[in-house]
Amino acid sequence: MEAPLLEVKNVTKSYFENGKEFKVLDLVRFELAERDFVCVVGPSGCGKSTLLRIIVGLEASTTGQVLFEGSPIRADNPQVAMVFQSFALFPWLTVTQNVELGLEAQGRPPEERHARARKFIDAVGLTGFENAFPRELSGGMKQRVGLARALAIEPLLLCMDEPFSSLDPLTAQNLRDEILQLWENPDLPPEAVLMVTHSIEEAVYLADRVIVLSSRPGRLVAELEIDLPRPRNRKEPEFYGWVDEIYSLIV
Amino acid sequence: MSNIGDDVGRETPVTDFRSMSKVSVGQILGLVEAVDEVGGAADAATISREADMDVDRLGPILTAAEFLGLVTVQDGDIRITDLSRKLLTASVRERKRIVREIIDDLPTFRLVMDMARNAGSPLGRQEVLQALADRVGSHQAEDVFKALVYWGRYAELVRYDSESEQLTVRPAAPM
Repeated sequence: MEAPLLEVKNVTKSYFENGKEFKVLDLVRFELAERDFVCVVGPSGCGKSTLLRIIVGLEASTTGQVLFEGSPIRADNPQVAMVFQSFALFPWLTVTQNVELGLEAQGRPPEERHARARKFIDAVGLTGFENAFPRELSGGMKQRVGLARALAIEPLLLCMDEPFSSLDPLTAQNLRDEILQLWENPDLPPEAVLMVTHSIEEAVYLADRVIVLSSRPGRLVAELEIDLPRPRNRKEPEFYGWVDEIYSLIV
Repeated sequence: MSNIGDDVGRETPVTDFRSMSKVSVGQILGLVEAVDEVGGAADAATISREADMDVDRLGPILTAAEFLGLVTVQDGDIRITDLSRKLLTASVRERKRIVREIIDDLPTFRLVMDMARNAGSPLGRQEVLQALADRVGSHQAEDVFKALVYWGRYAELVRYDSESEQLTVRPAAPM
């Protein structure tokens, strides 16, 4: 049998200070398959961002393992891309140059870089802003650049760390819908999305599956299949039923 | 410039372009969706509370959305229009095309577009500001320019290079 896209196997993370152990994650385990949209929620300080950093290989776990397609994850895995809360754009580079950055790091030839950048700038609705600098863009547009840059490497797995929390609520909702459009489009990457958020509503709006962590140390409290049809309406009782249930698991 | 037109007679062109220069497409779409989710009509106070935006922030978004024909606002009640319903179900590409059709019709934008087409070479920012000042007054030329660059780029009507401050018309792309 083929290995799942991602396996998080009993991941524990501790920091040590003056000989004392501070455990932030405790035996977290779950799997992600192709076509999954999974959100990790939990109270602040539950280690969910640390978990994401371990999953993409930016940080090592203390014990446990993260496997991507059956092999231990590496930070330079070109099949995994990350979108950050702070956008992480270079202010002195244009939209196109920011998007090409990841492709340059992969050593791809210029023609391929330009073509891919054009394709993904278009996919996120930024055509027209190719030569704009980040300072000329609204927050939502900046995050679209972050998204185009992540998608341009054509990842199987897209990881997002609170991607909407620096945006105003209206912009955030619009971008959530566009992320869903991208994910539902079979011709475009990614195959699967793993997103960390502190907003339970956001998780229920987006995810097929919600992974709930406890407060420090973060332990797996529940894994819930959200079977609501899309597009979901945040005002419907069924929607609120899920939000309530997750709240009750956290507090 | 005989084809300058009908927005001169609008009641509040000052506010309209100022709002257009301050808000983003994403905010307007978010607003439309928020109203749609509660059945297509809502009072502004409810939306303000749900979007966690006070009237200073929500105001320009409402004004711009109304100006674009995406909502109607009457006595504090916001209603979405048929056009915005179309926008909600559209793809990213189709949304651009719809917005393009709306803003392509705005005479003040059209003035600049015609100017740029006729010039046959890129227009400098100062040149455009001057033409706008003659038309809408220097106090709001900057707002119109800013709105034109943002919405014109979004709708793929113009290119603007903020380093050289040069504006050009994009060749009509199939959308």
